[in-house]
Amino acid sequence: MKKGALLFLVTGLLVAGLFRPAGSAIGADSLVVANDVAPRTMDPNVSLTDATIMVMRNLFDPLLTRRGGSGDLVPNLAERYEQLDEFRWKFYLRKGVKFSNGNPFTAEDVKFTFERLKDPKCCAEYLDQGNMVENMEILDDHTLIVKTPRPIPWFDQTLDFVFIIDKESTEKRAPGDMATKPIGTGAYKLIEWVKGSYLKLEAKNDYWRGAPPIKHIDYRPIKENATRFAAIMSGEVDFMSGIPIELYDKLDKNSDIDVIRRPGRRTIHLHLANRPGSPMADIRVRKAMYMAINEDEIIKKIMWGHASPAAQLPDPASRGYTEKIKRLPYDPDQAKKLLAEAGYAKGFQIKLSGPNDRYINDEKISEAVARYWAKIGIKVNLDIKPKAVYFPEFTKGGLDVAMLGWLDNTHDLAFMFGYMVHSRDTDTGQGSWNGTNFSDPDVDRALETSSKILDREKRRLALEEMNRLAQDEKINVIPLHYNVNTYALRKAKGIQFTARPDRWLVFEEFSLK
Amino acid sequence: MATYIARRIIQGIVVLLVVSILCFIMFRYTGDPVVTLGGVYVTDAGREEIRKAYGLDRPFYVQYVNFIAGALRGNFGVSYVTKVPAFDLILERVPASIELAVSAVILALLLGVALGVTTSLKPGAVRNRLIMAVSLGGISIPTFLIGILLVMVFSVYLGILPPFGRGETVTIGFWRTGFLTWSGIKHLILPCLTLTGYQLAVILRLTRAGMREALAEDYVKTAWAKGLSPGRVIFRHALRNVLIPVVTMSGLMLGELLAFAVVTETIFQWPGMGNLLLFSIYESDQPVIVTYIMLASVIILAINIIVDILYAFLNPKIRYD
Repeated sequence: MKKGALLFLVTGLLVAGLFRPAGSAIGADSLVVANDVAPRTMDPNVSLTDATIMVMRNLFDPLLTRRGGSGDLVPNLAERYEQLDEFRWKFYLRKGVKFSNGNPFTAEDVKFTFERLKDPKCCAEYLDQGNMVENMEILDDHTLIVKTPRPIPWFDQTLDFVFIIDKESTEKRAPGDMATKPIGTGAYKLIEWVKGSYLKLEAKNDYWRGAPPIKHIDYRPIKENATRFAAIMSGEVDFMSGIPIELYDKLDKNSDIDVIRRPGRRTIHLHLANRPGSPMADIRVRKAMYMAINEDEIIKKIMWGHASPAAQLPDPASRGYTEKIKRLPYDPDQAKKLLAEAGYAKGFQIKLSGPNDRYINDEKISEAVARYWAKIGIKVNLDIKPKAVYFPEFTKGGLDVAMLGWLDNTHDLAFMFGYMVHSRDTDTGQGSWNGTNFSDPDVDRALETSSKILDREKRRLALEEMNRLAQDEKINVIPLHYNVNTYALRKAKGIQFTARPDRWLVFEEFSLK
Repeated sequence: MATYIARRIIQGIVVLLVVSILCFIMFRYTGDPVVTLGGVYVTDAGREEIRKAYGLDRPFYVQYVNFIAGALRGNFGVSYVTKVPAFDLILERVPASIELAVSAVILALLLGVALGVTTSLKPGAVRNRLIMAVSLGGISIPTFLIGILLVMVFSVYLGILPPFGRGETVTIGFWRTGFLTWSGIKHLILPCLTLTGYQLAVILRLTRAGMREALAEDYVKTAWAKGLSPGRVIFRHALRNVLIPVVTMSGLMLGELLAFAVVTETIFQWPGMGNLLLFSIYESDQPVIVTYIMLASVIILAINIIVDILYAFLNPKIRYD
């Protein structure tokens, strides 16, 4: 009896000792942040995945960057720049910027970075960026001229995710060191990185744009939705990016937590094939397939309201977006009529390919689309695979209908179109993400002509016209919806921040009340 | 005994080779790594460049032979995703997995055997029936459900235990341990309990069944008759014979928990090996996957050899030659 009582007492004390309110970050100038994906490496030229670039943006600087709320391109390491002609751009670099090892930032570093991007062994994902630069002419320590191999009107738009590294130290280091010890000009420096667990960042007081308000950032990637939710609910983290849509309402109702929604820039859409001789070669068939889908229902029932209908591939922030394009209405009867007119009253069979682990509820969306098409007589073979298997298939091309979600980092429709809509051309490399091998000479021509226009306004009009041509007249894709970016913050922390359209968390833009 | 061990090791090497060939073949067909390597903006020409740079355009058997040749020298290739050596990537994660798996197995073993013995002595008692009923839950409720329930109860509603991560860890040499800080231990509790659930139930039932049988044997009746204290009868005579199946189970469990505690590691964002494996499969990171599975095979084979040797100590009648 006595032994039992003692045991009970000890256990009770232990449990009581554990009972401490799970505190949030110590100190008023530190923040604990949870995101859904972990960065892969600390080498800024290796990975283009959002999760990695976002962290890189805090440790390194690009030549140009996008302002938080609007996404406009503004000078960063480059104070100003001008396009000299179709092929050449001149950059005037900022003076007095230092890397975290004390080395000064100069034009040599920029040249070195871009040359490194051409090496497939180290920087395969940035190959395209590297190959966009034919050579760089250094005029002096802070001025250089870039020459592109062909006219690339959107070249400057791609510079906000190319991060500049220090030539002198990189040449001396082993590649493995680059992956774990970043030396950058960014607002923060890396204190500690435990892969898959957390990152500790500390603000640089002598940062060239001014010391960031929040001194310590504790960045924790948590992949599992339920766990991330528990983390913010329990106060273990102060700020969370990416609220699982099924748990959104619970967080919304919680009085300790603020939720923020912002229209995202990723367009979920279906690529269509137009192979001559196949049913989808007839535009009436493609139109019917478009009109048979009840997108409002998809948004309401599958996306839980956390999406907005899309009428075109680009989002409002992209040059080439036009209000003139409207979604085709949901009209299954009209769809059936169109099919009959085209001679397919009895329907036909096609394959719908998509991923199951990439976009929110991607598999459910594909299943819903298959059901809508079954209702108008089209038999759908659903081919859903994990992204590791699906994307190689997609890039090989030749699919009938393929789902994709594209986020245009360059804000320029020509870039997107060059990859996804232009006919496949192994010589120029265009169409490498044209999963259905959609091919239309009018669209190709419109894209090629627009690339030659230097005048910004004239080019914008040309892009809008190309967009309208491809979407309204040719129906090359069926746009579904734009995603919504969600964030959760603990009210008590008083976090001030503006959600960025690219969903990056740039910590120098955060502050505490 | 020495020849026995040598024979087992040779068998182990054969198994390793077979496993490595199978892995190599299988993971070639689960996704093209060139797309992983090339990322979003890669062009067709870029892809070909990458394919050549990584030697992925050479025939399969050439790639395999290169891999084995490298492996013998300790070079298991470089991760496609993070561009660091695959072996180092996995090795980094080993301490976390070992601490979790070993804690779970020790807890399951101690509690399982203890409860198994007590429930076998008075099977009809209410307390013991209750324990058996709860153990049934431990076996039938899936791991991820236990994990998420624990997180909801202890982290969200009660707010007393942290829901993810390892907490503050201390690095001794290359080993990052969570045992030396209060925060580290707190973070270990929920994942450990999640993993222990099933293992505990199995060991409990196994011990109980074995003890019930042993206690009814003649030699135990003799021991009681001789007037030995209950402790000696139960532990020194009956339990010792029950321990062989228990040790086998524990060995298997330890191997499995070390290499494949994927679900628990995902739920608790535990930076262990299982977590890494899942991520690598998603990203088609072939060097890491193949290296991992070979490593897991080595661990499991080693554990089983050790378990077999332990038998000889537990039961002197077992001889190896």
